[in-house]
Amino acid sequence: MNTATMNLRPLFMPRTHETTEGNKTGSWRYLRPRYEDKTSPCSAACPAGEDIARIEMLSAQGFFKEAWETILRENPLPGVCGRVCFHPCEGICNREGFDSSLAIHTIERHLADTAARNDLKPALEKLASQPQKIAIIGSGPAGLSAAWFFTMLGYACDIYEALSEAGGILRWGIPEYRLPAPVLRTEIGRIESQGIRIFTGKHISESELNKLRGNYSAVFMGCGYSRSTPLGVSGETSESVKDGLEFLRSVRQGEKPSCQGLSAVIGGGNTAVDVARTVIRLGGKAAILYRRRRQDMPAFAEEIAMAMEEGVALHELLAPGAIEAQGDQYKLILRKMKIEGQDKDGRGRIVPDGDKTSEVTVERIFTATGADVAEPWYNPPSDKSGAITLSHCQIKFDKGGIPLVYGGDLTNVTKNVTQAIASGKQAAMAIDTYFQQGRDAIESRLASCRVGDGLSLSMEVYMQGARRLRSSHIVQPEEINTDYFQFEARVVQPRLLVEERTGSFNEIDMRISANLAIREASRCFNCGLCNQCDNCYIFCPDVAVIRGRNMEDRHINFDYCKGCGLCAAECPRNAVTLEREGL
Amino acid sequence: MKRVLEGSHAVAEAVRLANVQVVSAYPITPQTHIVEIISDYCAKGKMNAKFIPVESEHSCLAALVGAQSAGVRTFTATSSQGLALMHEILHWVSAARLPIVMVDVNRALGPGWNIWTDQTDSLSQRDTGWIQLYCEDGQEVLDTTLQAFRLAERVNLPVMVVLDAFFLSHTYEPVDVPEQKEVDRFLPSYSPRFNLDTRNPYTLSPLVTPAFYMEMRHDMALAMDEAMTCFAEIEEEYAALFNRRYGSVEAVTCDDAEIILVTSGTITSTTRLLLEELRAKGEKVGLLKMKMFRPFPVEAVCRALGRAKKVAVIDRNFSFGAGGVFAQEIKAALYKLPVRPTVFGYIAGLGGRDVTTDVLEEIYIKTRETDLPSQESIWIGLQEVKYAN
Repeated sequence: MNTATMNLRPLFMPRTHETTEGNKTGSWRYLRPRYEDKTSPCSAACPAGEDIARIEMLSAQGFFKEAWETILRENPLPGVCGRVCFHPCEGICNREGFDSSLAIHTIERHLADTAARNDLKPALEKLASQPQKIAIIGSGPAGLSAAWFFTMLGYACDIYEALSEAGGILRWGIPEYRLPAPVLRTEIGRIESQGIRIFTGKHISESELNKLRGNYSAVFMGCGYSRSTPLGVSGETSESVKDGLEFLRSVRQGEKPSCQGLSAVIGGGNTAVDVARTVIRLGGKAAILYRRRRQDMPAFAEEIAMAMEEGVALHELLAPGAIEAQGDQYKLILRKMKIEGQDKDGRGRIVPDGDKTSEVTVERIFTATGADVAEPWYNPPSDKSGAITLSHCQIKFDKGGIPLVYGGDLTNVTKNVTQAIASGKQAAMAIDTYFQQGRDAIESRLASCRVGDGLSLSMEVYMQGARRLRSSHIVQPEEINTDYFQFEARVVQPRLLVEERTGSFNEIDMRISANLAIREASRCFNCGLCNQCDNCYIFCPDVAVIRGRNMEDRHINFDYCKGCGLCAAECPRNAVTLEREGL
Repeated sequence: MKRVLEGSHAVAEAVRLANVQVVSAYPITPQTHIVEIISDYCAKGKMNAKFIPVESEHSCLAALVGAQSAGVRTFTATSSQGLALMHEILHWVSAARLPIVMVDVNRALGPGWNIWTDQTDSLSQRDTGWIQLYCEDGQEVLDTTLQAFRLAERVNLPVMVVLDAFFLSHTYEPVDVPEQKEVDRFLPSYSPRFNLDTRNPYTLSPLVTPAFYMEMRHDMALAMDEAMTCFAEIEEEYAALFNRRYGSVEAVTCDDAEIILVTSGTITSTTRLLLEELRAKGEKVGLLKMKMFRPFPVEAVCRALGRAKKVAVIDRNFSFGAGGVFAQEIKAALYKLPVRPTVFGYIAGLGGRDVTTDVLEEIYIKTRETDLPSQESIWIGLQEVKYAN
């Protein structure tokens, strides 16, 4: 006999078929949750203001095209930036304090390479055509960026480029092993396919510029810094001291200048490292002479490390004093320097170490201590009257009110590729606002497009895209609920062997597989960005989290939400904000 | 088939054979071996059950409230502080009439932090409306766990199967593990008397006003009374299939005994040895093993003890300000008799201290040599303590 056949005593126990919906627990609430996407620190640190949290979210789900398009809304050159950007995004990544920062640049490059390999065409929003035409002088990152964003806003653009091929510093300054020409050509091809005309081999003189201004409604000057600054020491001649940028340009133009023997490279930036590594690849020996120490060098630490692996020598605390010709060679007299106290920027202050000197005899000397414009008139006029000075460009109006925008290296405080892209974007936004709303509207319109609290601007926000709903609050590490994340090693960048590197100009960094890219993107905390993880839905004790059919339109039923805050506490990425009721 | 099993593993085998559908547990020494094996069985598909890991015992039992309300057979095991943390939900389970089965491995409560056996954890839950069954050896653990599901589901009250830490939970013994087919005849798959159903939604355990609360509680009291008779029936059914029965109490040579020792748990086995020795010497001594504590088997206790002169109750537990819990309950049960034996309350073996035949003999002799107990509770084997200044 089992319970089913047994004569069971009835149970007297409470139950009700009345709904409990009459008990509106929402009346207990004094805290109120709200879905609020916030700003990730990486996107605020990105000079181009890329929506990195969203890019990684899409990448992790395998939506590579959508992720790539998300980059293109803010940056037309992901293939370039995935390779040569100094990625400040990674330095501020909230994951850094957890295990290690996300390899954002590696994923950016993966997305660009995947798009290029599959010949993808982006489907991006574009505003209605405007009557104004824009002339752009220089096809470096600033000019290309300006053209891209002006076109997005509905303007026809013509680019004038002095050299035989577009790209500026990207084509002629950065060595092939860091940025192969086909990668750049793909990016420029995509920019051109938006309807932009690029006139190469078209050097614009000052008088031609004035003529151009008659044919266009605005001109963008993005001529860049293409000359290395001289050392300013005795014995310096065009024969004895070679311009580092000029050297790199000649190599990228296909020349193979002789580099036998020892070359001295003066400087500590990326150009110095590029020159030294190019010398090695041409069969020479190279020594970088820097007046500060290795840790003070503006060049990327990883590039310095690789240069030294390849055999580049580094001599610190040596400043050029004088140069003496010795037959076919040069004697370089160097002043020894030492550190004494600190500079304003926190770097050690360097002073001559008494009269101590040293000497080195070299075949040739390269200067890479800094750069400047090729022609003095490229610089914005010192007379700032009537001009508008913005963070990344300066706008000067002629008598007819035609704006002339100086951008890129000409105006940027920090001169690098991604800051140049930021400059082009800022110029497009500022001139569009000028055309549509007048010059007084520029400042506030740009301020409304800021990513977080910094200088980065978002074109998606400018074009009234969904990103405008993001709060400017930058998610802090302590706002991430790391209980929901597991330690996972950062992807290791596969590279050519040193032996493979030194004998050729082949690209050093190899591509990673889609699997690795997805795994790496999955490490992203997606700071401040709801990725539909459903924690709030699962944890809500009042079943007050309501989702639409496709788990979209997530919202809170305030009839029953009693403000316990579990949704905010259990949100791994701070996409739920909890506030005092009635505020 | 006979296998050599740890007491903990005898529990796990019974749970596997009982076709439990949801298990939730939080590990705590000395319970861990039980849920370790069960989680392994769930992971490997040897049990078709969902194992819900949780962050606390409170959540564990709350999870089972949900699962059992949905109409499935559930199980958990805990010990000591874990059981104490469940206290709120223990009341809820019984009043919600959910036939959940739990194993509690008796362990002392802290401080002093102590992982060894002591009954205070389970006995301090005596008023929560759970049926409590105390086991003596591995075979009884397996058999009682299987019977517990039948009993719980018969009267819609939860059952706590209790075993001593280490002395039973971690001791290997030969245990006859029945075949699944046979167990299925004794314990068919669970057919709930009520369960939540999204197609016919209703709320269980809503607000109950003073107008009906007493009636609801009275119904629980009737169910607890019913458990007493049902347990005997279920044991008979079990014996018919497996030829093993234990009884709510077991009286050993009590009929002519002048002094009867009352024990529970593994102390019973030790007492059986002493009993043989004493009987061989001609002592008129008996043993009453308490298996069932809730409901308290008043009739059986009176029947077994009624003719004795003296009763020595050995409590491995203590209720501060009162005494040993079994002693209190025995005294209360005997109160209905017109002529009652004198009850001596002994406290022994707290915090896992060994209760040997020597200790038990000391208790027997103390009882034999005195007419009346010197104290309400006599603490056995206390050492001299040195107090710090």
